[in-house]
Amino acid sequence: MTIELTQAQLASAASSEVIIEIVKMNKWYGSFHVLKDIDLTVHQGERIVVCGPSGSGKSTLIRCINALEEHQEGDIIVDGIKLGKNLKNLDHIRTEVGMVFQNFNLFPHMSILENLTLGPIWTRKMSKADAVETAMTYLERVKIPEQADKYPGQLSGGQQQRVAIARSLCMNPKIMLFDEPTSALDPEMIKEVLDVMVELADTGMTMIVVTHEMGFARTIADQVIFMDEGDIVEQSGPTEFFDNPQHERTKLFLSQIL
Amino acid sequence: MAIITATKTPDRAAPLGERSVIGWIHKNLFSSWFNAILTLLTGYLVFITVTGVFNWGFTDATFVAENRRACYDNSLTGACWAGVIDWLDNIFYGRYPRDQIWRINVGAVLLVLWMAPLWMGRVKGKVLVGTGVVVFYPFLAGYLFSGGDKGLFMQVMVSGAIVALIANTANMLTGVLWGEFLPDFVLRVLGKSTAPDKTQRNILLALLFVVFTAVFVWQLSWTVEFVSWTKWGGLFLTMVISGIGIASSLPGGILLALGRRSKLTVVRVLCVAFIEVFRSVPLITVLFMATTMFPLFMPEGFVLNKLVQVIIAVILFNACYMAETVRAGLQAIPKGQYEAAHTIGLGYWRTTGLIIMPQALKHMIPNIVGSFIGLLKDTTLVSIIGLFDILGMLRSISKDMPWLGLHKEPLIFGAFLFFVLCFSMSKYSRHLEVKLSAGDQH
Ligand SMILES: Nc1ncnc2c1ncn2[C@@H]1O[C@H](COP(=O)(O)OP(=O)(O)OP(=O)(O)O)[C@@H](O)[C@H]1O
Ligand SMILES: [Mg+2]
Repeated sequence: MTIELTQAQLASAASSEVIIEIVKMNKWYGSFHVLKDIDLTVHQGERIVVCGPSGSGKSTLIRCINALEEHQEGDIIVDGIKLGKNLKNLDHIRTEVGMVFQNFNLFPHMSILENLTLGPIWTRKMSKADAVETAMTYLERVKIPEQADKYPGQLSGGQQQRVAIARSLCMNPKIMLFDEPTSALDPEMIKEVLDVMVELADTGMTMIVVTHEMGFARTIADQVIFMDEGDIVEQSGPTEFFDNPQHERTKLFLSQIL
Repeated sequence: MAIITATKTPDRAAPLGERSVIGWIHKNLFSSWFNAILTLLTGYLVFITVTGVFNWGFTDATFVAENRRACYDNSLTGACWAGVIDWLDNIFYGRYPRDQIWRINVGAVLLVLWMAPLWMGRVKGKVLVGTGVVVFYPFLAGYLFSGGDKGLFMQVMVSGAIVALIANTANMLTGVLWGEFLPDFVLRVLGKSTAPDKTQRNILLALLFVVFTAVFVWQLSWTVEFVSWTKWGGLFLTMVISGIGIASSLPGGILLALGRRSKLTVVRVLCVAFIEVFRSVPLITVLFMATTMFPLFMPEGFVLNKLVQVIIAVILFNACYMAETVRAGLQAIPKGQYEAAHTIGLGYWRTTGLIIMPQALKHMIPNIVGSFIGLLKDTTLVSIIGLFDILGMLRSISKDMPWLGLHKEPLIFGAFLFFVLCFSMSKYSRHLEVKLSAGDQH
């Protein structure tokens, strides 16, 4: 079942169907203008890395894409559906868009297996047996099937983050969003999570990743976006972006973190 | 220069003061002159209190006597427990007809039987068990205790409760014997384990219907004698009021707490107003209002009995306190939990029921049990508005001719009963807390 899926995803990666389209999107927190005239098009199977200084609006941008935050102006169209106040649409979007958070946000009162099967059982209406099977497949993919019966509190940060990735994948999403998935981790655990993400990228998943891991960005990104003060300042392919940045602010940022 | 230790340093025993009894005594009780004097003084006080109480309560006490005078003839310096023992039935059951007391005992046994699965690790479907108790037991117990003609509604509810009890007991057996959930067991025995969901559901519903019909027909054949609520009293009445209060204040409190956080302004304002009004008035006022003012709002000729009024007042009052407890628990849940629930497509009710509430309630167990203990003790206030709960009963001993003026012993006995009840509740909550937090250390 999983293998068929992967092939389907690969097939769609080749086509360049638009899956996310953001047009002149603006967002305010009170009177504070967080996102300014954002335009962004993401094709199916594309991997986008977003970077930028703290407070530049990276998290806000990807949280708008799965409707965790509301935008006030412009359009966000995800998988052919325009985000707005329509709750039914929101539910649909949330099941199609997976999200991985900086601090994992696993459910501490449930075992790993329960964390993974919850969504499929309650929102995908899968039978319990099928949900467990899917969950085990993904736990194997993130290389921790032996932890299935433990609780999140008993796992290391790296393991928890891999569980969080598996939890999103169990929903069989079309798009995966990552908000600084490795920033809360100790250095030795960062690699195990990045490895899993690279493998996921190889399956042709559409991914938007906020990260400061530039080596990782170079290997997987189709496009790198640099944000500053609510603007997309620069957007280009990874080689171009790292070797020949155009904008002064990008150059400054890269010189600080590389 | 690096320092390298070639051999592993062997473990040594801790210093004497850390491990021997004498060491402990020295360190904790006699570390200084002042501490030593304090220790001796406290020891002396404890000694005279304990021997005093022991002599009064046991050595010199009278356990069997005709009346108070006989007690004092026997011993002047000891307690007169004979009065309390003579009144035990009244203390436990109030003025419930003596030949009907078995109904109360059966009610208590059924409750224990019903709730027992909650403490059995192997039994499945604990949430259903808990819900079953809260929803169905009150009807069964209600009829058992008050009796009389059932009427169609009560017939249906009593049958439902009996069916639920049967299912619950069967589920307990399949759980203990095979570690299996009753529906799974039934389907396995019928060989339908692999049938489609819909077929399975229909089979189970059909079975349920057959059992229900059988029980319904059976219960038509018997009734129990009517006992007016005015005869209810003693510990029984205290348990009825606080039991209903406990069982309904938690769900009520959860709803009010959710309402208070609702995005709908009308709901929120109503909940806030309700909670704040009840929380700023003492329970005794609420009780008086319930019994004197409530009837004024009722249509002409509509009489609610005093017990029902009191129970409603207790529920509302405690639900409001519980709402604040639950709210505090909800506030402790990080925003990330809501967001994670949303990203796997869970809506408001599922997020609340599956993710937020279980965690919040777990954090709040000590406070919730604290409220329950408070509720149990507060119900003694109903004796002020003329119900003969346990406190009312204990105090009427001193007005009973043979035991005229016997105040101390009944009240001490009452205090002891409450201590046992409340202390075991708080011990149990401590145990629950430890057990539930075993899974998730952070
Ligand atoms: N709920 C909120 N209310 C008000 N202001 C907010 C809120 N969330 C974020 N902000 C502000 O919006 C701006 C952008 O926040 P955002 O979290 O998107 O930044 P970021 O680029 O992800 O930064 P970081 O790298 O620190 O995560 C920040 O200045 C932040 O203070
Ligand atoms: Mg951020």
